[in-house]
Amino acid sequence: MNARTSRLGFRTPYYVLTAGLAIVFLYPLIWTTVSSVSPQPGSAQVEGLGFNNYATLASYQAGLPHYLGNSLAISLVAVGVTLLAATFGGYAFARFSFPGKNALFLVTLSILMVPYATLLIPLTIWLKTLGLNNTLVGVGLVLAVFQLPFATFMMRISFEGVPKEIEEAALMDGCGSFGALRRVLVHAVKPGLITIGLFAFLAAWNDFMVPLFLVGGDNQPLPLALVNMRQQVMGVIDYGSTQAGVVVLTIPCVLLFLLLQRHYVNGFMSGALKG
Amino acid sequence: MLALGLVLAACSGGDDGTGTTGDGSGTGGDAGSGEGVEGEGVDDGTELTMWTRAPLERQATLLVDAYNESHENQVNLEIVPNDDMEGKVGAAAQNGDLPDLLAGDVVRLPYWVDNGLFTDLTDQIEGLANFDDIAVGHVDAGTTPDGARHTLPFVTDVSVMVWNKDLYEQAGLDPEQGPTTMAEFQEQAEAVQALDQDGVSGTYFGGNCGGCLVFTWFPSIWASGDEVISEDGRESLLGGESATALYDVYAALEEGGAIGAGSNEETGATWTAPFSEGKVGVMQYPNTAVYSAIEAGIDVGVAAIPGMDGGTSTFLGGDAIGVSKDSENVDAAWNFLSWLVSEDAQLEVVAKNGEVPALTTLLDNEYAAEDPIALTINSVVENGRTPVAPYFSEAFNASGSPWVSMVRTATFDGGDSVEADNELITEVLDQ
Amino acid sequence: MTMTAPASAPDRSPLTPPTAAPARRRRRTTTSRTGWAYASPTAALVLSLFVVPIGIVFFMSGSDWSLLGGNQGTNFPENFTQVLAHRQFWPSVRFTLLYTVIATVLLIGLGLGLALIVQVSSRWSGFLRTAFLLPTALGLASASLLFYALYSPQVGPVSRWLEQLGVTEGVVSILGSPAGALWGTVFLVVWRFAGFYMLLLLVGLQNIPGDVYEAAKLDGAKTWQTFRSITLPLLRPSLALSTIMCVTGSLLAFDQFYILTKGGPDSSTMTVVQLIYNLAFESKRDLGMAAALSVITLLALVAINVFQLRAMRGSSES
Repeated sequence: MNARTSRLGFRTPYYVLTAGLAIVFLYPLIWTTVSSVSPQPGSAQVEGLGFNNYATLASYQAGLPHYLGNSLAISLVAVGVTLLAATFGGYAFARFSFPGKNALFLVTLSILMVPYATLLIPLTIWLKTLGLNNTLVGVGLVLAVFQLPFATFMMRISFEGVPKEIEEAALMDGCGSFGALRRVLVHAVKPGLITIGLFAFLAAWNDFMVPLFLVGGDNQPLPLALVNMRQQVMGVIDYGSTQAGVVVLTIPCVLLFLLLQRHYVNGFMSGALKG
Repeated sequence: MLALGLVLAACSGGDDGTGTTGDGSGTGGDAGSGEGVEGEGVDDGTELTMWTRAPLERQATLLVDAYNESHENQVNLEIVPNDDMEGKVGAAAQNGDLPDLLAGDVVRLPYWVDNGLFTDLTDQIEGLANFDDIAVGHVDAGTTPDGARHTLPFVTDVSVMVWNKDLYEQAGLDPEQGPTTMAEFQEQAEAVQALDQDGVSGTYFGGNCGGCLVFTWFPSIWASGDEVISEDGRESLLGGESATALYDVYAALEEGGAIGAGSNEETGATWTAPFSEGKVGVMQYPNTAVYSAIEAGIDVGVAAIPGMDGGTSTFLGGDAIGVSKDSENVDAAWNFLSWLVSEDAQLEVVAKNGEVPALTTLLDNEYAAEDPIALTINSVVENGRTPVAPYFSEAFNASGSPWVSMVRTATFDGGDSVEADNELITEVLDQ
Repeated sequence: MTMTAPASAPDRSPLTPPTAAPARRRRRTTTSRTGWAYASPTAALVLSLFVVPIGIVFFMSGSDWSLLGGNQGTNFPENFTQVLAHRQFWPSVRFTLLYTVIATVLLIGLGLGLALIVQVSSRWSGFLRTAFLLPTALGLASASLLFYALYSPQVGPVSRWLEQLGVTEGVVSILGSPAGALWGTVFLVVWRFAGFYMLLLLVGLQNIPGDVYEAAKLDGAKTWQTFRSITLPLLRPSLALSTIMCVTGSLLAFDQFYILTKGGPDSSTMTVVQLIYNLAFESKRDLGMAAALSVITLLALVAINVFQLRAMRGSSES
């Protein structure tokens, strides 16, 4: 196949086509970034280039650091819980047989099939009963649950992809199954962990609907503030501050993504997504 | 809680609301921290929570800041996205988590009141010294059929006709004279369109936004002497003569290409933006956005919305506010409300910032006197109307409502199904 | 050799991936108790934050439960009959299916194309891979807000391009016509998710042994023939997984339509989940009806996924 594609690679049309595609994929991101510092009617940046839209964003209501802090807290809870549950869960599904295993796995996967708009009211009622209403931990937990289908699936195949010999060697050395998991297996499934961790972070960091229903007051995260800021005047959208908000929301995601990209792609490769 | 509300309502029925009242200048604070506080409520440093929707943030912040500065009580304002207000309020109502002070769109409010979301404030409200001066629309929206009162005006938003004086001058129109009939409106829009400038259109409207259409079109029907819905709010009268004539005006404008690009799909998110960017000749507009347009550098002409052959009216919109059923600080919350409708707050906060005061005595105030636009806006209020119907929001405001379909068919598609569509609206209103 | 691998375990769903180690007898030292102990965090989360709320949804679907008034007694089966009779029910089902077919075909097709482009290892294709994957770092809501501005005739450039290309007459808002709203949303979704499906399919591609291609080349197979008779069949498990994820995700599409179109214009882009939201919070404010529609959607999705799994298993056995 290398011969086939590298033959293609020497052709100019190949470069034109692929460069065109790359531009299509990158353009919206670049456009937003440029627009957020460019003059636009109805925004804080009316003339010339500048960071007025970011200034609006920074001083909106409780202030940018406050919202970022909430977003960070929610994301950390979601990532932590997802990693913990999916690591143990993936290990259990991959290496153990226990009654109810298939049922639990299928129920976990079926989370994907439920329209989450419906769960919002039951969740507010239920979280109140659990004493988790209007807490960042509650939102983090709920977002982690929405990550479980993908994360559990991913970790199950990651563990299944680890040669049994490695685990057996560890068990021989006198490790219990937990010792083997902690000392040996976790390193073997690291790419998978990075992948699901990144996924959980991206989802939790960007979500606005779940926090809208589950928290209020001082606990609002940045995406929710952004949606509010978009419509401060009746019938006008402040595109400038919206774009600035999208940029601020996206920067950590893109940085994290670029930083972890190699592991992230490996996470897919190393799992037995192989058919 | 609901039961308690009913009991209170029953009691207040015989009270006739002539109890002792605060005189509006007393020291407040200890007017009565026990049962049935009237007058000014309690100002003892209570922390109050309050929700309002995002588009009214500016007005709400001004009021809350002014209150917090001059009172022991402190109000914490939380902004809720406009489109998700109903869901957020519903979730909180089920959990008993509503804020102390809850503000809501006057057309949605009757439904909230029906469902017992507010504390009965009949005694307090009717006991206000200046009760007779308060604009009735926002109070009526929170009044149940048995006469129990729950709400006071929070922000008044009226619809007016605005035009761009620069564009009028270029089009050879009198920049000081807006349309006085809908026929003139059509002529003037067409004249601006005839300038054929890039991106400039004769008029613009929220063609896919039920709330905007209600707010901008109902006044023309009222001004023509017709009704939009029956008195009990269960029958739609939008297939009437002047309503049909109004749709025809817009159908003609559409055919002549005088309606701005984007109108067709305008869901309301950006419906005031083109005018404030100088891209529209003449259109109906919310008064709360007029000042943004002026700040953006537009030379704005303002007049009342005319009927087909004259007359004027307006949609008395905006938000009303009450104390929620879940509030444990009713007396402190009442302190905010009684301050809100005081002459001082209405003059020094509301009128001073160019908004429409909720007291009829203040419509002609010292700040408005210096500002002809404010004076014009205030003057339209007396002919204003607020339609009240239990299923109003489903029939008119909801996305894909029968009202939106009707208008779109009649204007953009040149369809001829007004009567049948009117039936569909009635079906929703009368469920 | 490897061609039959996917069919080797007919009693196992394709979603349960084949173990890397061949079917070696598992050591019986693993007790079910340890297994449960490891699975317990998952079980606790799923039970407390998914099964219970879903239970409440089922209960709601049989109750007269209004948004503001709460539970007011049973209303079964009226919620279901009312939903089925709602004037927007069938149009929303039709639109959701249409959108799902379009999105799935485009995403899988483009994902495969992109995977073929970036499968060689070179600096250029490394750059391409990053470029295609970068949009997946955005939240769907952020991406929708971004495209809302991009499509806006007031601040975005796209309307003007379409006019210059002669696609539209004058500067028209893209989201204004039913077709524009559909394709505008499809474009957003393809932009946001193509990289993800590229990655899934890339994994499949990289697992096709190189000697299969060598053999085909020796037999004188053309590029297209190789692709059709070798690449595609060997890629089937990855394609199946991608298709299932894409179909399920598209059938539940909400955020993108909620921000971009609100179901408009003229309710033409009302998806089923958008209708659920509309029934619950906008028009009817009836949680019972919304829950009933959710239950219907959930059952339909389960049925569709069972059907997909059967069909794919059947076709891979043939």
